[in-house]
Amino acid sequence: MLIDVNAYIGHWPFRQRKYNTCETLIRRMDRFGVDLSLVSNLNGIFYKNTQSANEELNAQIKSDSNFGDRIIPFAVINPIYGGWKNDFKVCTTEMGMKGIRIYPKYHGYALTDPACIELVESARDRSLPVTISLRMVDSRPSSWMDLGRETEWALKDVLPIIRKVPDAKYLLLNIANSTLLNDEDTALFKKTDLIMDTSGRALTNLGELLQTFGKEKFAFGTHSPILDELTGLLRIESLRQNEADEATKELLRSGNAKRILAI
Amino acid sequence: MMAAVHLLSCSGKEDPDTEKPPGSSFNIMREVMKYRKIDSHAHVYITPDSPATQIDFADRLGIDKLVISRPMEPGSEGRPEEFIKCNDLVLAAMKKYPDRFIGQLTLNPRYLKESLEEIKRCMDQGMAGLKVYNHVKISDPLFYPIVEKFIDLKMIILMHAGIGKSRITYDATEPPNVSIPEDFVDVAKRYPEAMFQFAHLAGGVDWEDACKALKDSSNVFVDMSGSNNDGSIMDCAMKYIGEDRLLFGCDNSFYQPIGQMLAANLSESQRKKIFFENYNNILRKAGRNVD
Repeated sequence: MLIDVNAYIGHWPFRQRKYNTCETLIRRMDRFGVDLSLVSNLNGIFYKNTQSANEELNAQIKSDSNFGDRIIPFAVINPIYGGWKNDFKVCTTEMGMKGIRIYPKYHGYALTDPACIELVESARDRSLPVTISLRMVDSRPSSWMDLGRETEWALKDVLPIIRKVPDAKYLLLNIANSTLLNDEDTALFKKTDLIMDTSGRALTNLGELLQTFGKEKFAFGTHSPILDELTGLLRIESLRQNEADEATKELLRSGNAKRILAI
Repeated sequence: MMAAVHLLSCSGKEDPDTEKPPGSSFNIMREVMKYRKIDSHAHVYITPDSPATQIDFADRLGIDKLVISRPMEPGSEGRPEEFIKCNDLVLAAMKKYPDRFIGQLTLNPRYLKESLEEIKRCMDQGMAGLKVYNHVKISDPLFYPIVEKFIDLKMIILMHAGIGKSRITYDATEPPNVSIPEDFVDVAKRYPEAMFQFAHLAGGVDWEDACKALKDSSNVFVDMSGSNNDGSIMDCAMKYIGEDRLLFGCDNSFYQPIGQMLAANLSESQRKKIFFENYNNILRKAGRNVD
């Protein structure tokens, strides 16, 4: 089984995107052998009221009985916007969303903002993963209206929220910048129930990173449709036997994702 | 349940996605190893692990040949002793892996006499092309005698293209002499018989801006190297540049260019062209083809 822990539908305001509906996403999943995808709506990054994006995603999934079998929805929640607690409740109960995504840089708050901590604690209390993307796009060729290069995160930059809520579950996505952590932070990473997806450009030496962080810390992810659907898979499947045996590859393809989703 | 939904067909529209076999048969490493590849934009480094590391990635991903260079440091004076040292590194790597590496020299047209001497020295030792960085813009008249020399040699000039004006205003980290797409357009128009390679379309440049600018410059090839595997780059490149002028390349980001190539809606013949044939045809002009 192959599970993509990092996919989207919706629009990106600065570039035209293809394959950004449930129908076209599933077509691509079929082509590349992906069974399940964790999906959020990109529009939630840019709508001030993120709940409208969650409603759009929910409506698309409900529009075809097949979509629900293949798409695992994650809600975009903005904890400094009015009504977020009700959004969280509606998404995770009535809409059946299985986790949340947060966008502190786009929504304008710090990871350690009390409201963010409260949201992450709420997710923890319901055993729902909290998803953080280190960056959404390569800032170099992005629009002058988009976030700049100084806003891209390295792996160490997400540690403040993990320190505040160490017993939550985390999905850390698009690891595009440095993965260097000191010994203390590496130990915290190892203790935390978290997964990094394989879409990010910093995973050039995945075999070494498996040694550093552990084989249970990575999972296949695409960051599609912003990034292509296959680079994250190539990083896994091109691992040599001495870097990852078949059992480890199965963890990366789906086992670790199943663990964090409790499916 | 999964196996059943796995094979669901989608709408009956004519679309390359729907013509592909069901995902259960998709084997990415089989696809990777199916194609001969020339990495048209590769480097060797001063670090002790190079060039073994680059060969190791190439072996892992089925890259037959790598066109290597060692450009001078950005912001350096670019004096002859510096470019000679860079070229010596490339020559040593070529000797170590003669079946895998195709060497390109570097130079600085501000030192014309020494640059022309260096071209001869490197060509005599089997190099096949030029890689230049951001010391002088590709359209600067200082480059004209170098371009003319490479017309005679029937070899390509690979010029770095930086972030430039990707966010409309020039990137603050860029040196003033970095070449932007419009500079390639200018020099390509002046020298229609020359061959230019626009470097790393996925390396930080705004690919839509670049592809649109280079659309009608038929003697400018575009390499797909770089760390940015944005899902729309290949579509854009195919739309504006086309299958005959695109070159596979990695620029040391080995996974992304291959992932993009395999994910893109390309036919078998288009993939063969971009992975291998287009660059091999460039080499063929100087009798250096590798097939």
